[in-house]
Amino acid sequence: MILRFLAVVAASLALAGPAAACAHQRTSLSYLQGQVMCPTCHTTLDMSDSQAAQRIDVFISKKIDACWSAQRIKSALVANYGQEILAAPSHKGFDLLAWWLPVAGVLGGALVLAFGVWRWSRRREPEESAAESAGSGLDEETERRLDDLLARFD
Amino acid sequence: MTRRLKATAQLLALGLVAGLLALLVWQLGHQAHAPSVGAVAPAFTLNRLDGPGKVSLAAYRGKPVVLNFWASWCEPCKSEAPVLQRDWTSYRGRGVVFLGVDYHDLASDARKFVTAHALTFTMLKDGSGKVTGTYGISQVPETYVLNRQGRVVAHLAGPITDPGFSDKFRSAIAKAVA
Repeated sequence: MILRFLAVVAASLALAGPAAACAHQRTSLSYLQGQVMCPTCHTTLDMSDSQAAQRIDVFISKKIDACWSAQRIKSALVANYGQEILAAPSHKGFDLLAWWLPVAGVLGGALVLAFGVWRWSRRREPEESAAESAGSGLDEETERRLDDLLARFD
Repeated sequence: MTRRLKATAQLLALGLVAGLLALLVWQLGHQAHAPSVGAVAPAFTLNRLDGPGKVSLAAYRGKPVVLNFWASWCEPCKSEAPVLQRDWTSYRGRGVVFLGVDYHDLASDARKFVTAHALTFTMLKDGSGKVTGTYGISQVPETYVLNRQGRVVAHLAGPITDPGFSDKFRSAIAKAVA
């Protein structure tokens, strides 16, 4: 009985040990698989089962077990494979274009759209005012007779 | 005013299309192709796998060079490694240099591979695969045999242990040494 209790305690400590050793929340393999590229197939790791990708999976798993943070694991991979191993481009140098071009594209599109709407609304305004100035489209005589008829109902 | 604005917008759109086309042409023009037989092998400088320091291909000008691209995760590389090691020990006396280029690999895995197969020729690391790309490598292992002038004598796109490649490899070395 005592032996079984000690075995349970020992197993619990063995399982809890590595988790307790982590000062921060552990990252996960699935998270990093979406952030890291397979160098030979040029897809993210989660979309590849190539041998190169499998080796990186093993590397990441080992580092997660050793309590490495996601950033530290990514840095180690960049040191080994270069910046291309990351799915997202870096935030410096020429790579900045990859971040800012879409923003510039959306802003440019919005400006073009706004300008188009502004021009369209300006074109409609004179038409509407012309229609208003044209009035009901009845001649003076008919309008006078219509006014007379309406006056009888008042 | 509106007409001028319209013309400016059209010019901008045309410029954008022309720019994209130029980018496409540039990209197509800069795609790596395997250097053909007789062409000068692309120059490179790579870090050593087994320690600090860099190695440049140009440093071996005047010597025949066997350039073998491999990776630890590559199954055919495992059967090829002992044959390369054996060939190196038999050809080094004739001044032939063997260079192994490990690509798209973890350095720790690559070092284990080198130790496991007792490989003693110079090993270089091309983690990003940039140099390997200039040689048009699409799969590993692949081997180039270069002559003393740094020109390609043979390109073997597969393990040198493959039937047919073994004889081609040895005759290419003989040609490179001559």
